[in-house]
Order: sequence, then C-alpha cells, then structure tokens
Amino acid sequence: MRFFRKKNSDGLKSSTPLPSQKQNPDQKNALKTDLQANIKILKDSLGESSDIIFREIRIGKEGTIKAGIIFTDGLTDTPSLQNFILETLMIDNKGNELQKKMSAGKDLINVLKDYAMTVGEIEDLTSFDVLYTGLLSGDTIILIDGYAQGLIISNKQWAERGVTEPSAQTVVRGPREGFSENIRINTALVRRRLKDPNLWTESKVIGRKTKTSIAMMYLNGVANDKVVEEVRLRLDQIDIDGILESGYIEELIEDSPYSPFPTIYNTERPDIVAAALLEGRVAILVDGTPFVLIVPALFVQFFQASEDYYQRADIASFIRLLRFFALSIALFAPSLFIAITTFHQAMLPPALLMSLTAQREGVPFPAFVEAMLMELTFELLREAGVRMPRSIGSAMSIVGAFVVGTAAVEAGIISAAMVIVVSLTAIASFVSPTYDIAIAVRLLRFAFMIAAASFGLFGITVGFIALILHLCSLRSFGVPYMSPLAPFNMSNQKDTLIRLPRWKMFTRPRLINQKDVVRQQSPADAKPDPTNRNELEGD
Amino acid sequence: MKRYVFVLLIFSLFLTGCWDRRELNELAITLALGIDKIEGEYEVSAQVVVPSEVSPKSSTGSSPVTLFRAKGETVYEALRKMTNESPRKIYPGHLRMLVLGEELAKEGISESLDLLARDWELRSDFYVVIAKDKTATEILNVSTTIENIPANKMFNTLKTSESSLASTKGITLDELIADLTSEGKNAVLTGIEVKGDQEVGPSKQNVETITPSATITYDYLAVFKGNKLIGWLTERESRGYNDITNSVKSTVMPISCPGEGEASIEVIDFNTDMKGKFKNGSPEVDLTIEAEGNVGAVECKIDLKETETIDTLEKIYEKELKGIINETIDTLQNKYESDIFGFGKAIHRSNPKEWKKIKEQWNEEFSELTVNIEVNMKLHNTGTLSNSFLKRVKE
Repeated sequence: MRFFRKKNSDGLKSSTPLPSQKQNPDQKNALKTDLQANIKILKDSLGESSDIIFREIRIGKEGTIKAGIIFTDGLTDTPSLQNFILETLMIDNKGNELQKKMSAGKDLINVLKDYAMTVGEIEDLTSFDVLYTGLLSGDTIILIDGYAQGLIISNKQWAERGVTEPSAQTVVRGPREGFSENIRINTALVRRRLKDPNLWTESKVIGRKTKTSIAMMYLNGVANDKVVEEVRLRLDQIDIDGILESGYIEELIEDSPYSPFPTIYNTERPDIVAAALLEGRVAILVDGTPFVLIVPALFVQFFQASEDYYQRADIASFIRLLRFFALSIALFAPSLFIAITTFHQAMLPPALLMSLTAQREGVPFPAFVEAMLMELTFELLREAGVRMPRSIGSAMSIVGAFVVGTAAVEAGIISAAMVIVVSLTAIASFVSPTYDIAIAVRLLRFAFMIAAASFGLFGITVGFIALILHLCSLRSFGVPYMSPLAPFNMSNQKDTLIRLPRWKMFTRPRLINQKDVVRQQSPADAKPDPTNRNELEGD
Repeated sequence: MKRYVFVLLIFSLFLTGCWDRRELNELAITLALGIDKIEGEYEVSAQVVVPSEVSPKSSTGSSPVTLFRAKGETVYEALRKMTNESPRKIYPGHLRMLVLGEELAKEGISESLDLLARDWELRSDFYVVIAKDKTATEILNVSTTIENIPANKMFNTLKTSESSLASTKGITLDELIADLTSEGKNAVLTGIEVKGDQEVGPSKQNVETITPSATITYDYLAVFKGNKLIGWLTERESRGYNDITNSVKSTVMPISCPGEGEASIEVIDFNTDMKGKFKNGSPEVDLTIEAEGNVGAVECKIDLKETETIDTLEKIYEKELKGIINETIDTLQNKYESDIFGFGKAIHRSNPKEWKKIKEQWNEEFSELTVNIEVNMKLHNTGTLSNSFLKRVKE
C-alpha cells in the first residue's frame, strides 16, 4: 500500500501548473502576418479535419482585403455566423460608414471589433494556442491578411440534452430539474436557487487534451476558507490528459483512495447542491457530466435524501432511521445467516431451527457456498440489468426471477431460506438514497460473509470493529467522516439520524462551517406561534 | 515482497477457524433426553427430530421423531455410543425435556445431571420430570397429536398446566440443581406417565384415532429427600405445595357453597409471603397469602347481588385453602419428613446465627415446626352474570 501511495503523491507534486494563456507567445506560437501562411499552419496541424471549415473572403471597398473565417462545423451557430459576421463583412453597402472606415487603412482589427461585429462576446487573438482552444470549443475565428492578430467570436452552439428529470435521485415531492452536460446550464441552475452575491464561482480548465471546464462554487463567508483553499490546491495539482466525467476528478482529489467508502458526494440535483452550499460545502461542477461533486462529504450525508427536507419531519426521521436499518441488513444479513446456521444454532428458536433444517435437507452445498452462489447470481443479474439494452430488459427479469427464485429452490440446490435472505439483502441495498454508499456495502458484504464462514459471530464482530475503526479514521477535506457521531456533536444531532422540524435547525453544521453559523432567527422566535394567528382572526 | 508473503502466511493461521462449524443438516436435533438406570448401567435415550418429516412439504407421513438408545457406564459415554446408531451427532442445544426414570430417581439423580449442567452446548432452560412407574424410554416412545413432536407436547403441556392449574410445576435444570444443593430446601419434580396401551404408543396409529390409545399426561409432584425420590404427592397436596411456594399464577379452586352445592373461584392473582422467625428459641414460619379472584361458576343457589354473599365466599375460600395447606404441610412433616417448601431457607434468611444451631438436625426440627397461615381473598368479578340462572330454572 505504502509503495503505491508514495508514487501517487510524488506524481501529484511533480505536476506543473497549466501553461497560462496569458503568457507571451513565443515566436513559433505567434500568428503570422500572412493569411495564407496562417491557414497553412492551421491545416497542417489540424490534419485536414473535415469538420473544420476554412472560408476565405474579401472585404473592404472593392474587396481589396483578404480575410479568413475558420470555425468548427457542428459546434458553431451557423445562422448567427451568416447573419452577424458574413453579412456585415461582405455585403457591400455603398456609403456605409463601415466601408469607409475599413478603407481608411486604420487598424482594421479594432475597427471590426468596435463597429462591425454584432455579437456579444469577442476577444483578441495573437497566438495559435488561444486560437485552437477557441476554435475547438466552437468559437469562430477571423484572421485578416496583413495582421498578426485575429478575433475570436463566441457563437458556440451545439446539440445538447436539456434540463430533464434526474434519473439517479428521484423524489416524490421536490423539484424535478436535474443537471445536464453543459456546465453553463448547471451553474445557472445553482445560481437560480441562490441569488446571493456571495455565491462565488471559480473556473478552471483541467485536462491537457480535453481542456475540460471545471467550476468551483461556494458561498463566500459561509464556506470554510481552509476547505476552499484545499479544494483549489487539489484541483490545481491535477495533471492529466483528459477529464471526461466528474469521477476522474473525484478519484484524483479524494482523501482515501483505497477506502470503499466515498468521501466525496455526487448528485445530479441542483437543489441538493444549493442546500450543500448553504451548509458551507463546496461544489465542483465538471463540463460534460450532470454529476456535481460536493465536499466535504460525511457518512451520514449519504443517508440523507433531498426529500427528507421537503416532507414532514416525523416521516423524514422515520425514513431516515429505516435507511440505517436497511444499511445494516444489506451489510450483515447473509453473514449473520451463515454464522448463526453454521456456528450458533443454539441462538435459533427451536421451531425456526427445525424449519430451516428441513429446508436444508438434501442441499448439497454448505451454507457459505450457497450464499456466495446466490449473492453472485444476484450481482450478475444486477449488472446485466444495468448494461443491457432496455428492450430486452423484461426477458432478463423473467429469467432472473425464474432461475433465482423458483428453479434453484425446487431443484434442491439452494434452500428457500437463503433465497429469502438474499432477496431481503437486495431490497435493503436499494434503499440507500445514494448509489455510492450502496457500492461500499455491496463489496463489504462479501468480506463479512467470508469472516462469518470462518469464525462465525466472532468473525463478524471483529470485522465490524475493524469497519468502525476504518470509518472513524477517514476524513473528507479535513472533516472527520463519521462526525457528528464520532466525534460526537450534540447540536448537530438535529439533522443526523433523525431530522428535527425546520424551526429547530437554526445553525449550520458545526464541523463543516465555522463562521456565520446562524441560519435563522433565534430559536425562541423560530417556532411558529399559533396564538398570534388567533389574535389576528379575532380582530 | 517478502513482507507480503509473510503477512499472508500469518493470515493463513486464522484459516483454521472452522473447527466447530456444522451445517444444519449435520445435526441430530435432540428435543428430549431420557435417562434410566438398568442393572447398574445408564441407559440414555434421545428423541431426535427427523427434519424432513417436520416440514409439511416433504413429509411422507412417518413419525416426525426417532428414538436412539445406548447404554454406558456414564451418561456421557452412553450419549457418544449413540453415534453407533445415529448418522448425525446428537445436538442437545435445543433440549426441551429431560425425563428421569423412577428407578434412577429412587437411587439418586445428582450423578446423572453433572454432564447436562457442564456441557456448553446445553442450555439449562429445559424441564426435568420423573417418569412415574415407567422408564424414561417408555415415556419418550409415545407419539402425540396436535404437537406432533412429543418433546414439544410435553414441554407445552407442562407450561400450560403449571400456569393455569398449578398442580404441576415446571422445574428447569437450574432450579433443580439449586434445590439439590441449597440448605433448608428439598427438591420436587413433576411426574409424567403414559396412560393407555403402551404397545400402540410408539406407532403412528396411536394418533390416527380421535382418542389416542396411549397418551402422555402429567401426574403430581414427586418428593425428594436429598437427591433421592421418596414418594409422591396427591393432587391436593401438589396444589398446596404451589400455594405455599408462591408458584401459582392462575388456578381454579372449587369451594363449597354456604348451603349445598359447589362454586368455583378463579384465582387471578396469588401471592404468598413466607417469613421465618424464632419464637422463644424455636423456629416458626409465617405464611401470608394475598389472593384475588373472580367468581368463576356457581352451582348452587346463592344471591351474588348481596355483598355478604361475596364476603361469605371469600371466608369459605380462605378456610378451605388453609385446610389444603395444613394438610400438605402435615403430610410432609409426618409422612416424608422432607422440607420441600424451603421453610429452612426462610428461617436461615431471617436469622442466620440461630439457623446454624439447628441446621444439623433440621429434618427433625421441620417435623415439629409451627406454621402460621393467614389468607386474604378478594373477589372482584362475577363474570357476565350476576345471579346464576340456576335460581330461575323451573323445578
């Protein structure tokens, strides 16, 4: 383990900061004055890619000036290119103010920029690096013969998925909006929920080849500065060729890469991100994925669904307790079954013992092998269900239910009780509101089954103690993972295992946020007072 | 690399952890054990469940239990010898009944109980009973109905009769050993017997008729002196024993009406307070009984609307209960000379110094002991009727 970790940290340290685009272009990088030379360099380096369109035009009075327009087909908004760039430049309006200015032999680039381009976002261009980044992210480039300078006109537009309902975290009550693949839409979705000037967005570009936009969002003054600084530092240390999903970032910046437990939360719901920002957490948005990362993430956070906060506190608390119960079933049910039936038969009530024994008559495998077979079959079914084309899904569920449920028992290969245990485990593992924590439980379940098969309850107990120790040793961006349970914090219990009514939760979580802790007015005023209302009605 | 190999080797030490691992279908689940002594040797019989016959799905209709028998110098040896006959090792973790043969009980039971108290697989919450006039094997060899596992039938019958009639007493191994070892109290055990045709008992035919040819029923209490069985109590005396030792949960007691006929009192709460003391240097025991009950059935012509009638019934109950208790104490003091009530214990608790003086000759002292009895009965309800319809029945 140490060997790997060392190598990893060395790798991070040796990484150099990204070459800034503001650097003075060296000789090779600088644009040439000759338009034809520039176009040749571009064509050579882009390898004659068919989606890059070069259009040479003549502008100015009597078309004396040669210009080149370069854009990426499919990433650029062609109507706006037509209407606002080509038309203004090429249509020869006699007596037009612009034509006069063009021919006056002034700095043509600035004239175009200031008078001609009826587009919102426009930038100067002197180096090939900037040109490539702009061109390949959908901007239109204008080069003019005789100038070692150009213009980047931002008219990106490409086909993309709109804001749809999130599929991984569904709610009965709550907003139906989910993040999409476009980082701008995503920041907008968060901004719409938090119209606070202190909501700060820091942008970064990570990935030498992919040049993926990353945005860090936090509430300045609410988020812990040290955490913000730490996130910034870890993001800056990333040196990788490509970022295709926020999972890349997650793995590169998480605290304990070898732990099965996630120390970074991810969500596709803007309301969860907004709530996390209000608690003083930091959100990391990555272009190209609807999954937004939230740090620091605590163990209990993975058992809190957004809906907990939208429905009544009593049912929310009940469901939250139910989730922890489901966690223990998903983690321990098969191992406890193995341990009790093979080591501690005395723990079973006599009637149950006899019923289980009767079922096991003729079953050829030991309970452990039986459980392993069933669990693996279930994992197979589950994986097949995720990867398979939707249209043949029903076929697989029929086969699955038939093989696992009925045939195995009737053939006497698996006892019926084991099918019940495995199904119960499966149901319980689907209860957790986040997929990530369910993965940890899924993996650890097998470890516990092995411990139970070799040492019985003793093995489970030792494994459980080891698990608790491991969980308590984890940290997420400096915050103990098991807090507020360990270290115990009384005031944070209001939103841990249960959720108190909103008017009881008047401070932000303690360890995540250290300043500006008060969410609402003082607790005494917070509770709705029915007597006031009665007086009003009496008037 | 060497280090990892070393760590792996250390872990492999733990792989030997499965020494007591047994699959469910490697167990011979034993629900009842019988111990007899025949010609100086122990004969142990184990009533083992046949799992496939218990499940309604795979049952073929043959007996749900089977009986293994083996003889040996000691109980343990006999149990192990059973593997000659049984395909699976006897698993006594769920033992519900231990039946001791009457012959064995007359010779002394302590020696045979040691294994059962010592073995870690056994829980000590099973009932111990004595096979009256029979061997334990004969008791375990009768098929039963409703509860088709005879051990369960014995267990549940004892539990029910103990709590709703109180003429038997379910005594677990723990309690028995406590009685056998403590000063100033002798043990009792409930007797069990087979009524009817012993020949048909073991077969399935036994339970195919409405009235089984042979049935297992409980008798009354067996009196021990030391670890030897010395005699049996009658039903009245068994009830008296439970009254004295505060073991009544609920019972029904018939009393005679003021005029003629009978009435039944349903006792719903019964509390006996036993206090020992020394009066003028000689030990005495005070029994204070607080009972509450309902008028359960009236088979005579009395007016229950009158509170005096209720008072009278209470008085009669108190008097008759005193009678039963006196009779019981009398039998034990004079016939068996065995303190099964724990009077000695009560005296010991109240005055340990004086107790030491009389401890040695307690059996004689017990026969001379004065017991003061006070009974308070409170009747609450008369059920859904006030006066019995008997009064209105046409002549």
